[in-house]
Amino acid sequence: MVYTRPLARLTRTFPASPRHWPQIGQRLAMHIIKRPEEEVAALAQALIDAKKLVGTCTTCGHLSAEPVCEICRAPARDDTMLCVIADSRDLIALEKTREYKGKYHVLGGLISPIDGIGPEQLNIQSLVRRVSQTPIKEVIMAISPSIEGETTTLYIGHLLKPFTRVTRIAFGLPMGGDLEYADEVTLARALEGRRDLD
Amino acid sequence: MYLKNLHLQHFRNYPEQSIEFTGSKTILLGENAQGKSNLLEAVELLSVLRSHRTSRDRDLVREGEEVARLVANLKREDRGNLEMGMVLRGNGRRSVALNGVGLRRQLDFLGVLNMVQFSSLDLDLVRGGPEMRRHWLDGLLVQLEPIYAHLLQQYGQILKQRNALLKAIRQGKVGFDPEQMALWDAQLATTGTRLARRRSRLLQRLNPIADRWHQAISGGSEHLNLTYAPKFDFVDTNAIEDIRQAFLVRLQQKAIAEQQQGTSLVGPHRDEVVLTINQTPAREYGSQGQQRTLVLALKLAELELIEAVTGETPLLLLDDVLAELDLQRQNQLLDAIQDRVQTIITTTHLGSFDAQWLSSAQIFQVENGTIVGKV
Repeated sequence: MVYTRPLARLTRTFPASPRHWPQIGQRLAMHIIKRPEEEVAALAQALIDAKKLVGTCTTCGHLSAEPVCEICRAPARDDTMLCVIADSRDLIALEKTREYKGKYHVLGGLISPIDGIGPEQLNIQSLVRRVSQTPIKEVIMAISPSIEGETTTLYIGHLLKPFTRVTRIAFGLPMGGDLEYADEVTLARALEGRRDLD
Repeated sequence: MYLKNLHLQHFRNYPEQSIEFTGSKTILLGENAQGKSNLLEAVELLSVLRSHRTSRDRDLVREGEEVARLVANLKREDRGNLEMGMVLRGNGRRSVALNGVGLRRQLDFLGVLNMVQFSSLDLDLVRGGPEMRRHWLDGLLVQLEPIYAHLLQQYGQILKQRNALLKAIRQGKVGFDPEQMALWDAQLATTGTRLARRRSRLLQRLNPIADRWHQAISGGSEHLNLTYAPKFDFVDTNAIEDIRQAFLVRLQQKAIAEQQQGTSLVGPHRDEVVLTINQTPAREYGSQGQQRTLVLALKLAELELIEAVTGETPLLLLDDVLAELDLQRQNQLLDAIQDRVQTIITTTHLGSFDAQWLSSAQIFQVENGTIVGKV
């Protein structure tokens, strides 16, 4: 037995960690065991509270301790713009830019038959209801250009087009990126998404 | 191009091994399952980022080890000396480096080391199943058009998703949703059309070269013809949108059958490469020996085409195949490559080799994952 028994149990309590994080349980356990007891107790309490209190916003699907999340309640945000994203993590990434003042809709994943995820498993119905019942001027699809992302974007695009203008974010060269070193796939995408000079 | 050396660590059955190539021909001699082909497999991985023997990196890492390393030094006419490095892990995560600099995209690794593989399995290229011929064609395309590797991977992912959906429909787990299916159809057709066009174009370029070699080797005047034959109405000269439309039409026609069988029935994953000699399908034509002549002609054409496109002579990897060719064909091959093409040969015995092959070759004895010495 490499680990003493309680430590082994702690390591095993992270069993459902995503498969692309190998040994995350082991690393966290080793780190936690070295911290002061009060800190660990606070961590344990924080974990329980987070699990108990955090649910999803009934309007947009973002993680929230309230029935309706802070972003949805914010009066200063533009009600007529909606940005559709796959995951709450994408929302956080977009918020960091402080460029977007509209509201969000979190799908909770992408269409992926391999994983048994169809449109019914995603927050698509609530999105269509939201767009058809409230005066929304534009829906921005901000979904990664993967195979699954493409299918999801087009699927939702078809559903929403009768109600409002639907756009998608541009894909192309990263800032500071050198054209010469860009790969052909990215270049082709950037070329596809070209636009007139202002 | 010249491969100067190769270093393997924890790769397959090799604990640690360096090999310096000094001549234009290297023979790896040894009993079966000693690790001769593993050396060629290492070169294959560096060249096309995949092995024809396994799709799991776990198999490539030595038993009991976590990580395998490959390092090769080569000299190209156009880019000078290059060091290629590859790290393989049991969990499937790979990293590649060129001249010690890690590459973010593995695509940039393709086309650095060009090679033509000729193994004893290839002798069945004419008679074997269509997947053998598709695999052969894809291996060549990846070297000539690195972007093809990306398209191939993308197509594979679309196919996996679409098949999963069809299977779920057949099992009654989900209802048929025409909207969603239309989107998978569209993606399959878009990427599938690109693959089909590139494959067809490659065969058109390869055809005259292969025909010429075939006539030279067989001493006959029969015409060899290579055509790409998709499962939908395909006219290569048509505009890409027309080809895509034809693909979609066939998908529509096959829609019921696809749902019943729970799998995709149209697309490059089912297409055929048709080989004919004087309009007769090659598999029905001639003896086994004549079919071997045809395969040899294809391999020589491959070599010539890579050289014409890249300006570099590719490596030739002869895996267990030279002894399978009779002396006449061995000599024809030797005449064609002479000392110009660096060749690595594996064999269990030297007895059936023409003396010319042996006279100029560097010969290593391979035993249980170690090169035990020069012969």
